[in-house]
Amino acid sequence: MPRRRSLLWMILGAIAVFLWGGTFVVDEREQVVITQFGKPVGKPIKEAGLYFKWPFIQEVNRFPKMLLEWDGEPGQIPTLDKTFIWVDTFARWRIVDPLLFFQTVGNETFAQKKLDDIIDPAVRNAITSHLLIEAVRNTNRDEAELRAVIGEEETGSESLFIPISVGRYRITEMIQEQAAKKLLEFGIELVDVRIKRINYVEEVQKSVFARMIQERKRIAEKIRSEGKREANIIEGNRARKLAEISSQAYKEAQEIKGKADAEAARIYAEAYGQDPEFYAFVKSLELYGTALNENSTLLLDTKSDPWKYLKRLR
Amino acid sequence: MWDPRMRGDEGPWRPRENPLEELLKKLEDGLRAKAPGPLIFLLILAALWALSTCFYRVDVEEVGVVQRFGRFVRVAQPGLNFKLPAGIEKVTKVPVKKIFTEDFGLRTLRPGVRTEYAPPSREQEREALMLTGDLNVVIVPWIVQYRIQDPYKYLFAVRNVRETLRDLSEAAVRQVVGDKSVNEVLTRREILAMEAMQELQKALDTADTGVKVVNLELKTTNVPEPVQPAFNDVNKATQDKETMIRAAEEQYNREIPAAEGQAQKLIQEAQGYYAERVNRAKGDAVRFLALLEEYKKAPDVTRQRLFLEAMAEVLPKVGRKFIMDEDQKGILPLLDIEGKGGK
Repeated sequence: MPRRRSLLWMILGAIAVFLWGGTFVVDEREQVVITQFGKPVGKPIKEAGLYFKWPFIQEVNRFPKMLLEWDGEPGQIPTLDKTFIWVDTFARWRIVDPLLFFQTVGNETFAQKKLDDIIDPAVRNAITSHLLIEAVRNTNRDEAELRAVIGEEETGSESLFIPISVGRYRITEMIQEQAAKKLLEFGIELVDVRIKRINYVEEVQKSVFARMIQERKRIAEKIRSEGKREANIIEGNRARKLAEISSQAYKEAQEIKGKADAEAARIYAEAYGQDPEFYAFVKSLELYGTALNENSTLLLDTKSDPWKYLKRLR
Repeated sequence: MWDPRMRGDEGPWRPRENPLEELLKKLEDGLRAKAPGPLIFLLILAALWALSTCFYRVDVEEVGVVQRFGRFVRVAQPGLNFKLPAGIEKVTKVPVKKIFTEDFGLRTLRPGVRTEYAPPSREQEREALMLTGDLNVVIVPWIVQYRIQDPYKYLFAVRNVRETLRDLSEAAVRQVVGDKSVNEVLTRREILAMEAMQELQKALDTADTGVKVVNLELKTTNVPEPVQPAFNDVNKATQDKETMIRAAEEQYNREIPAAEGQAQKLIQEAQGYYAERVNRAKGDAVRFLALLEEYKKAPDVTRQRLFLEAMAEVLPKVGRKFIMDEDQKGILPLLDIEGKGGK
C-alpha cells in the first residue's frame, strides 16, 4: 500500500512539472526564442498563445514585439553654417528578427547602446552637412501668403523667404536611412528618427538674443518714424488748409469791400456831380459842425458872416 | 434493485479489474483516512476562487481587453462580464472614455474650469523653448488632451504610449513653429495649434498608438525674458504711432472748423460793410439831391440859410470865441492865455 501511493504521487508530480515547466504563455506584446542549453532551437515564436517545450532543458527568451522607444542624448553639433546647436533626437524601433537580435545583441540594454552608437553619428553627419535653416524649417511657404501674413512692418523675418532645399523631415529621413541599414544586421528595424528639439548653445543663444533685440529696436524705430511721418502729413495738411481758408476768406472779403467802395463812390459821384460847388459848400458846413468843439478857439472877423451885422446893419 | 457498483467503495469483495482504478480507490481511501476535513475545504476554496475570477465588472468609461493564454480574444463592454478563470483568461481594463492631459512647458497646479499653472521648472522651460522659421527663439507652452481610441493598439502595439505621445507632440509643435515667423507664433496661436494637432494625429496614427488627440492648445506664447523688453517696446511703438497720429488728427479737427468759421465771419463782415457802405451812399445821395433841388429854386437864400443854421449850431459849442474888428488894433492883450475853455 505505501509503495503504490508514492507511485501515484510521483505521477501527479510529473504532470505538475510538465504543466509548470513544459508550457508557457506568449503575450501579444512578446515574441520568444527557445534555447536549449543556451543554443536557439526552432523558429522564433511571434504569435501570442500557449506553447509547449521540454522542461528544464529548454529555456524561454522573451523579447518585446511592440514599437520601442529610443531617446537620444542631446548633443552639441555645429551646422554647415557653423552655428552650434543642441540636437535632441528620438527614434522608434522594433525587433523584427528576434533570433538575430538574440544572437547579436542579446538584450534590450545592449540594444539601446547599439542604437546610441549608430544613430548618434548619423544625426551628427546629417546636421553638420546642412544649414541650420534646413534643420529648423520643413517647407517653403508661398511667398504671397507669407507677405500677407507677415505684413509690411515686419522686418527681421527675411530668412523665412529663403527657400530651403532639404528641410527637417528629409534630414530625419536621411538619418534613418543611414542608421536603418546598419541596425538591420542586429534584427532591429528602425521605424523612424525624429528631431525632438533644436536649440542654440548658450553662447550662440546670447548673440541670437542680441540680434533679436536689435531687430525689435529697428522695428520699433521704424514704427515710430512712420507715426511721425503720418503725423507730419496731417500737420502739413492742416497748415495748408488753414492758410487756404484764411486767405480765401480775406480775398473774398476784400472783393466784397472793394465792390462796396466802388459802388458807394459811383453813387456819390452821380449825386454830387450834379453840383460840385454846392456839394463842397454843404460838406464844409458839415465839417464845421464836426471839427469845432468846446476846446476850439475861434477868431472871427467882424467882416465875416454872420458878424458883419454886428457893426452895422447894411 | 441493489447494485453493488453503486456502493463500489464499500465491501472488500469488490472485483479488482484495473490497477489504476484500484490506485484511485486507494488514493480516495487514503485521503479520507488521513486528512478528510482540511483538504476538501481547501479544494472547495480553490474552486470558489476560480469561480470568482470568472466574473468581472467593466465600468462605464472603460472596456476590458481579454487575452486567453496571452492571445487577444475579445473586447468586453461595460457591465458584468464573464471569462474563463484566472490562468486561462486575463482581462485588462482600458479607460477609453477618459480624457488624459499632458502638459508641456508648464505644470498644472489645479485643474478645473480655470486651470492654474505652476511656474515652470528648468526642464519645462527647455521643453517650451524652440526656434522659429526666422531663427528666433520663442517660448511655447502647450497642452495635449487625448483619449484611447483603439484599446488593442494602445495595449499591444506600442510599449510606452505616453512617452511616445510626449515625444511626438514635441516634434509636431516644433515642426509647425519651425515654419513660422516669431510674430505669427506670438499672435496666431489658434492656427498653429490646429496645424500641430493635425501633425500630431498623423504621427500617432503612423505609430499605431491607438490614441486620438482631442485637443491641442498653445498657452501664452512669449519670447525669452532677455528680449521681452524689446518686444514690448515694439508694442509701445505701435501705440506711440497711434498716439502721434491721433494727436495730429485732433489738432486738425480742432483748428480747421474754427478757421472755416473765422473765414465765414470775415466774409459776412465784408458783406455787412458792403451793405452799409452802399446804403449810406444811397442815403447821402438822396439827401443831397433833395437839398440840391430846393437849393436850385432859390440858391442865395438857401445858401445863406444853410450857412447861418450851421453857424447857429456850431458856434455855441465852440469854447472860446474872439470877434475882431480890423479897425481896432491890439487884440492880443485881451487874450487870456492861461485860461482854458470857456469862462
